[in-house]
Amino acid sequence: MDELFKQLAESLSQVSGFIYPNEAELHWALLVVIYPYLTGLVAGAFILASLEKVFKVKEVEPTYRLAMLTALAFLIVAPMPLLAHLGHPERSFEIFLTPHFESAMAMFGFVYAWYLMVVLLLEIWFEYRADVVKWSESQKGWRRLAYRLISLGSNDISPKAVAFDQKAVHTITLIGIPSAFLLHGYVGFIFGSVKANPWWSSVLMPIVFLFSAIVSGIALVLLLYYFTTLVRRKTPEMSCLNKLASFLLYTLIVDLSLETLDFIHRLYESEESIKILSELIFSKLFLSLTIVQILLGTIGPILLLAIARFSRLPDELKRVGYFIAALLIQVGIFSTRWNVVIGGQLFSKSLRGLTVYKMQLVGAEGLLVGIGFLILPFLILFLLVKLLPPWQESRSS
Amino acid sequence: MRTFRIPDQVARLAVLFAVAVVALVVVRHIFVPKSFGKLGHYRAAAVDEIASQSVRYAGMQTCVECHTEEAEKKSSSFHRGLACEVCHGPASEHASDPEAKKPFVPRERGACLYCHNYLPSRPTGFPQILEKLHNPMKPCPTCHNPHDPTPPHVPGTCSACHASIARIKAISHHDSLECETCHEASPQHRQDPRSALPKKPTNREFCGKCHAQNAPSAKEIRRIDLATHGGRYLCWQCHYPHYPEGR
Repeated sequence: MDELFKQLAESLSQVSGFIYPNEAELHWALLVVIYPYLTGLVAGAFILASLEKVFKVKEVEPTYRLAMLTALAFLIVAPMPLLAHLGHPERSFEIFLTPHFESAMAMFGFVYAWYLMVVLLLEIWFEYRADVVKWSESQKGWRRLAYRLISLGSNDISPKAVAFDQKAVHTITLIGIPSAFLLHGYVGFIFGSVKANPWWSSVLMPIVFLFSAIVSGIALVLLLYYFTTLVRRKTPEMSCLNKLASFLLYTLIVDLSLETLDFIHRLYESEESIKILSELIFSKLFLSLTIVQILLGTIGPILLLAIARFSRLPDELKRVGYFIAALLIQVGIFSTRWNVVIGGQLFSKSLRGLTVYKMQLVGAEGLLVGIGFLILPFLILFLLVKLLPPWQESRSS
Repeated sequence: MRTFRIPDQVARLAVLFAVAVVALVVVRHIFVPKSFGKLGHYRAAAVDEIASQSVRYAGMQTCVECHTEEAEKKSSSFHRGLACEVCHGPASEHASDPEAKKPFVPRERGACLYCHNYLPSRPTGFPQILEKLHNPMKPCPTCHNPHDPTPPHVPGTCSACHASIARIKAISHHDSLECETCHEASPQHRQDPRSALPKKPTNREFCGKCHAQNAPSAKEIRRIDLATHGGRYLCWQCHYPHYPEGR
């Protein structure tokens, strides 16, 4: 208790203007920042994967399976920060047993389940089935057993059966694209529909979230593709990287345009909240919004990608350019989520004061737990990649 | 003739899906309470469960039946809006057997402070004290009868009741001004605050008595031109009189 009072006293010393007593401390902290960041990566990675299957972009084919596994690994972890934030994760299954159709948050459980079960798991299963059957014959020990379990005993790898698998993958991807939009659009919807909060309440919110999700997902798969090829001592396919960089550049420009549109719209509307919001941007969020999100996370990568993509640089330099841009984008998108979630709680509903967010280091919602949730998807991805290698060479074997 | 055959992989997935659906139905059957959803999105039986709990509060009417003297005193005091059990706790058992079970009687300072400790968010004029300054260590009933809590002595200063205003004024340029400089309060206000409210300034000229260009007040006091400054606004629409330098 003393610790809590001490923390409150420290926060209060940094409060400015007038705030209501229940606004000094933020209710949605770091873990709620991580949650939209992770779901964004899932939706983005899946949409990248769909480019190859639905839109027949052949250049990005080497990243297809990696993108699917990435989406799965991040989707498994995505709800964990929420469950940790709410407490009592053992009760979470009850939203499936007694569905509440009027609650957007309760319905998200079904969107999540649909996306995990019907879209990702099914698509990965059909995509890998033929290979899993082959691996179950060539491998020994527990791996053999695992592959047999995964294949559900469906050992038919005749050309007809494999052709059916591919058709199924195509159909599921078609269903998957609106599902991915729904998955991350929902996250934006939840914030956008908080009408009492002028920083969040905007119909553009789901769309802005969606495009930033696509940006972050493509950037993550680019980073992973580049990193894994280096680890495997291979040369990344330049045509694939170039295509990824192009898509990244275009979506980033659309994302920036949407956010600028939102910004200009707010300025033009000039509602009564505009004063406190501008104070927020220039004081508490100056570093994370102006410097990190806009300059480092958006304009920097746009310039870097444009230079690396369209100039006559050697391939090695281009790759480094893409890599740095994708890394900066990750930092930028994370700070986008931060600015939305934390920023929306830093000003008082009285529109006359600002509070401060003091992150804990340890504790249920502390920095260490947050870092844990950011590392966990990579560990799961590592295991998935070991079990279901997404590389071209393992496919032919 | 060609017959349509369900592909092997789809059949196996269908089995898995059927198992999942059956599992969901079974789990729902086990975990969802039978009465869930009858009245709304909750367990209807919970209403009966709550209704079957024993009554703990007797209600003020029951108390009044025996404690007429206290009830009469309280009915004309500032505590007339409070039910007896707010301070004395649930007294249903006492009502059914007055001798066997005596209700709780708060005698420590803490009980009164739930409502009367100083908090900036409490309404102005609501009696609030700073526990460490207001007759420390003395239990409240020593001076205040809880059934008629009007202080035995009329408050000596305005800050006894208007604590938040006094604290703000103390750090402002208006600190040296007495409350009576701007507010005319009859002695009746101290005894029964709401029956005789103090007066407040009504026009710009009142502030001009010190702040106008030709005012006879001390030179250091900030001057304004009443004719041009602030247009038709009244002074306190921009300046809070208890802290005029704040914005």
